[in-house]
Amino acid sequence: MPNAPIIAFAVAFTFLLTLGAAVYASDFGKAEMVHFRMAVPAGSVTSPTVIRGAGAPIEMAPIVIDLQQRGNLKKLLNPGVEGISTHTITNVGKKPVKIRMELVNVTIPVRWEVSANLLYDPDTRTFTEPLLPGESIRNLGIDWFFQIPEERLYDEIVYEGGLRLSDADTGEVLTYLPITVKNGDGLVSGSGGACH
Amino acid sequence: MTAIETIRKNRWRYLSLVLGFFLFVGPFAIIARMINTATGNMASPTLHTLCYRMPVDWLFGGRWYALIGSVAAAFIIGVIILAFFMGPVFCGWLCPVGSVSEGVSRATPLPDRFRLRIRDPQVTKGLRYGFFAGFIAVSVIVGYKIASISSVCCRYCTSSVLQNMADGLTGQMSAVAYWHSGSLVTLFSWLVIGGIFMSGGRGWCLFFCPLGVLSNLSHTAGKKLGLYRMSYNADKCLDCTHCQVTCPTWAIAPDKSVDSHLCITCQECTNSCPQGSYEYGRS
Repeated sequence: MPNAPIIAFAVAFTFLLTLGAAVYASDFGKAEMVHFRMAVPAGSVTSPTVIRGAGAPIEMAPIVIDLQQRGNLKKLLNPGVEGISTHTITNVGKKPVKIRMELVNVTIPVRWEVSANLLYDPDTRTFTEPLLPGESIRNLGIDWFFQIPEERLYDEIVYEGGLRLSDADTGEVLTYLPITVKNGDGLVSGSGGACH
Repeated sequence: MTAIETIRKNRWRYLSLVLGFFLFVGPFAIIARMINTATGNMASPTLHTLCYRMPVDWLFGGRWYALIGSVAAAFIIGVIILAFFMGPVFCGWLCPVGSVSEGVSRATPLPDRFRLRIRDPQVTKGLRYGFFAGFIAVSVIVGYKIASISSVCCRYCTSSVLQNMADGLTGQMSAVAYWHSGSLVTLFSWLVIGGIFMSGGRGWCLFFCPLGVLSNLSHTAGKKLGLYRMSYNADKCLDCTHCQVTCPTWAIAPDKSVDSHLCITCQECTNSCPQGSYEYGRS
């Protein structure tokens, strides 16, 4: 039967290991599979801002991913694909909208994965069912995977564009979120969390 | 006991574990599919639909309101209630995450001397509850924005890794194209360290699964009230240690008693004991 110090060590070991895993996750999470929230209409999001309207306020900021700030495991084993993800698109406006999504200035292959509890047309990347004011799309999960060619992996700017959300009925741009994938200067964005 | 004998004696459990894969993992995900159909949800059902971890994270991170109406929360509450009355049968008989790592461990012809097994349940429990305390601490720190760290809930998600692998096996190769550092750590911890290099292949379940901890706490409470659990009869025991060798969660103490904080009621001990020293029941 082990004595109390051994058991205490066991408890402390996994406790600290878990905290360490959280710290590590916050470190690589700033540049790997960055999660963000979206509101419509929010206009052009050129700096960190809080969008207020119907429903809860939404924090938004331009997305800047520094590939150099990814974890060493990622850089070593799977450097050629980087992803961003959202679980939140909220209509903070006063009228129902059918949201069309578009990535602007696509210079490298990008794969979309969309799941949601709202009718979605993958050909036009449009939610064909209106999102009501104050509502968020239920069970939303959208991942964008940037497939970075090896010859562009160390470019200063790998991708510079953004995500445009517009009203599918009128074509009006509701929200524009700039996205940059780059190497260097240490600027990063994102919460470092996931699924929150 | 030979591998064939083990499979024959535990055939119902292994069949149940295979069934669990089809019940919970997409593209089959039969239970999630039924729930989605019933609720009018058009999302593709996956292992994530009934997430094992996020409701626990919400609870301790101050987002308890997110539990209301959550299918995942209802699912894990059901698992915990089931564990109270019947023992952690979900862990032992249905969980696809545990069954895959256990299967990988059993299928890998690695000599036992290369596999870790902690003989004293007190130490195993210490490691297990240390993780759980850490999980709660991280949920509180992240949920209440006390410090800038990340949740361990989703960044180290076996459900993601398993679902992506299943998608890859069913033809969606894009699902296994992206790996972030957390998923690489998870894959290595779950299948390599916790699977191949831990006796029984349940290392992840023992040390990194919050639902497993909650199920065993519930089971321990139920056991105190005389509900279903594994019991040991010392009078029949020949001290052969077959039970200790076969137990995938190292729940059998040196005195052969079953520790309810670790037992997943898989009944491998019952089926391996030549004397019938172990029984599952209420008595």
